[in-house]
Amino acid sequence: TVSVAPTSSGDGLRPETGSVHSAEAEVQTLSTAVSWTQTQPHDEAQELLLQPAADRLDPPGLKAFLQRVEDTVIRELDRNGRSHAFDEFQVNWEDQSQPVSCLHCLQHPSAQERGLHVTSVSWSCTGSVIACAFGRTDDGDWITEPSCVCTWNLDRRGLNPKQADLVIDVATAVTALCCHPQQPALIAGGLYSGEVVVWDTSRTQDPVLVQTGMSADSHREPVYQVAWVPLQKAGEFGVLSACSGGRVLLWTGDLNEGRFVLNAAYALVPQQVPHSSYVSFKARGSSTVGVTSLALSPWDPDTFLVGSEGGLLLRCSFSSQTPAAVPSEGHNVTLRAPAVFVFRPRSGPVHSIHCSPFHRNLFVSAGTDGRAHLHSLLQADPLLSLRVSDSSVFQVQWSPSRPLVFAAAAAQGEVHIFDLGRRSLRPAATIEQGGADQAATCLAFNSQNSHLLALGRTNGTVCIWQLSHDLTEQSPREISQLEQIANQVAA
Amino acid sequence: MLVEETLKRIQSQNGVQGIIIINSEGIPIKTTLDNASTVQYAGLIHQLVMKARSTVRDIDPQNDLTFLRIRSKKNEIMIAPDKDYFLIVIQNPSD
Repeated sequence: TVSVAPTSSGDGLRPETGSVHSAEAEVQTLSTAVSWTQTQPHDEAQELLLQPAADRLDPPGLKAFLQRVEDTVIRELDRNGRSHAFDEFQVNWEDQSQPVSCLHCLQHPSAQERGLHVTSVSWSCTGSVIACAFGRTDDGDWITEPSCVCTWNLDRRGLNPKQADLVIDVATAVTALCCHPQQPALIAGGLYSGEVVVWDTSRTQDPVLVQTGMSADSHREPVYQVAWVPLQKAGEFGVLSACSGGRVLLWTGDLNEGRFVLNAAYALVPQQVPHSSYVSFKARGSSTVGVTSLALSPWDPDTFLVGSEGGLLLRCSFSSQTPAAVPSEGHNVTLRAPAVFVFRPRSGPVHSIHCSPFHRNLFVSAGTDGRAHLHSLLQADPLLSLRVSDSSVFQVQWSPSRPLVFAAAAAQGEVHIFDLGRRSLRPAATIEQGGADQAATCLAFNSQNSHLLALGRTNGTVCIWQLSHDLTEQSPREISQLEQIANQVAA
Repeated sequence: MLVEETLKRIQSQNGVQGIIIINSEGIPIKTTLDNASTVQYAGLIHQLVMKARSTVRDIDPQNDLTFLRIRSKKNEIMIAPDKDYFLIVIQNPSD
């Protein structure tokens, strides 16, 4: 042992260690013992649960207790099951002042300078990134003006609404966009030139992963819709594209070559539209059924819905084997006629179709007649027609969290959110921002964060709106109300 | 077994999702749910019943808790308390 002795001098100015005292001693252990411990995984659940073991004796007094309470409890359970006391009773724990409020207004200045519109918006599968496609939606002539696809990550702290996180330059207008349902980095796009492209946003160099190129197989008309389709092998997806030339093509990506390979091809011609008393054949003049909208059914992988420029609304089947009555154009795959059923046609182009994520038979469609039509797959006439606007409706989409709610974007710029559970057919909420120069061209609900709604406009802005609690929280009887609506199908 | 029959009768009521019996210390004695949920319910509800009981008795010492019902968006939890045991029944009335 060593110790430092305090100074003994009184003045304290010159600290000196005093002499160190030390002593020596020896120690030896006489007996030893060895022992060890180890913790074992402690399964608390097992510990606490005193299930009667082999002897099967219930704890004392349990029988008597149950005899005492049984009648009361059964009476309460029965009454509760029949009670209507809480039927419409809802409690709001969240504070909300307005049904809709604008969170962000995203812009890409160089696209705005060139007067580009937002043609399509899509949320990534994680719900944090919004991808926006730019282009023009009104010019009829061939457009060679370059445009772009921009993405913003809304969950990032340094979000700059005037500067996109990622800008992908594209040679021509992008007319359709769809994010991959499982891989957040992949985005599929359809171009005005008829090409279909998949971009991989995780690549720093050239983001183009696969594209169709200008081959004999590809579209020659603008692609108005692209969608990811699950293929037979789990986890693999193909891209379905629809163009105004009446072709719906299913592509699989060849990653080595960076090209798309045509997997299946469908052609829609007026002569092969299923016979029905409705089809007055305004489309008889043209030789193709120009596809303006497409919807996949989340319930039936074989079904897809198609809307045309002439107002036709068709149910189609992927597995249809009927060859299409079109001259062979050198496609590698036989063209098939997919139409199986025709719904009551509209007077103008059908701009948007969306299948309900909560009921297998319901879908909503909208077009230039300014109405949103609620259809059942089982009958040709719509179940319900709601007036949205005096002008065209460009997009309708069901809410991912509330079975009875859908939103519709109109050409005059307003967006209406309808709640079928309400008695009135007027919208539950409206996003105003009028003026034809700010037409709402596209909208998308965020399925991960169901209170967010993205809205694209012709002035090149994408607004992110926040919806209130009522518009996003499912109430207890909604699914049965939706069932009731769906069952209104005429016998 | 009378106890099992009683539990079966209660379980057969409309919308009953689960039954748990806990003793006065909050330890589960019988349950129709999985172990993890049972332990969770037992701990939380035991505390709540004790608080509810003391609330009632503080307001009026001559009074005592006879029944407790917690209604939530998704279901209702009914608790019949007693000296030695609590009977907890979880019911979804719209089922």
